[in-house]
Amino acid sequence: MGMSFEERSVWVQAVAMLIVLGGYFVIAGVMMSRGVGVLAAYVPLFIGAVVLMVAVLVVGHVAAALLSRDRRADERDRLIGWRAEASSSWLVGAGVIVGIGCMVAGMNDVWVAHLLLGSMFLSETLKYALQIVYYRRGV
Amino acid sequence: MAREKTRIRNEIRALRFHHGEMTQQELADRIGVSRQTVVAIEQAKYSPTLELAFRIAQVFERPLQEVFWMEEE
Repeated sequence: MGMSFEERSVWVQAVAMLIVLGGYFVIAGVMMSRGVGVLAAYVPLFIGAVVLMVAVLVVGHVAAALLSRDRRADERDRLIGWRAEASSSWLVGAGVIVGIGCMVAGMNDVWVAHLLLGSMFLSETLKYALQIVYYRRGV
Repeated sequence: MAREKTRIRNEIRALRFHHGEMTQQELADRIGVSRQTVVAIEQAKYSPTLELAFRIAQVFERPLQEVFWMEEE
């Protein structure tokens, strides 16, 4: 079974997220291990990651659109999106709760910010992985 | 009491064949979904909504129960 535009879109988002944000976390992790404890030092890296991610998403979606005959989302695409979201969004909630706990405990802003960003990254990665599984295995 | 696991089976592939060998893409265009969704329905990997099931039955001019039925696994 070939891929619909929506499934290709999920692959594009998953790859962009893993490569770009994954890359950001690797570099930020090195910076944190070297003791960079000022949040502002991470801002240029983060902005660069966001700009690169937008560029990868645009190029990826143009390629997906060129390969796809029909670009409308249908009821199956929507169901797959809802189910994946329902099974992955708890990770963001858990990250926020742990983040608040860390702030109360007086943890450095850099760690708190990356904990929140990391929970969002994990939640989105799980969502895309589940969507791909549902597209391939059935829903 | 636990319910038996069920799956919605269908006769779409045969009905397409008997309707001038209608392609999956032609059926998809008539019911407003992607070809991949038609493939998933035919392979019982996706159970369509009632509205979509009625639209499919309408295309083949058959009652719903002649196109779809429930099967216990």
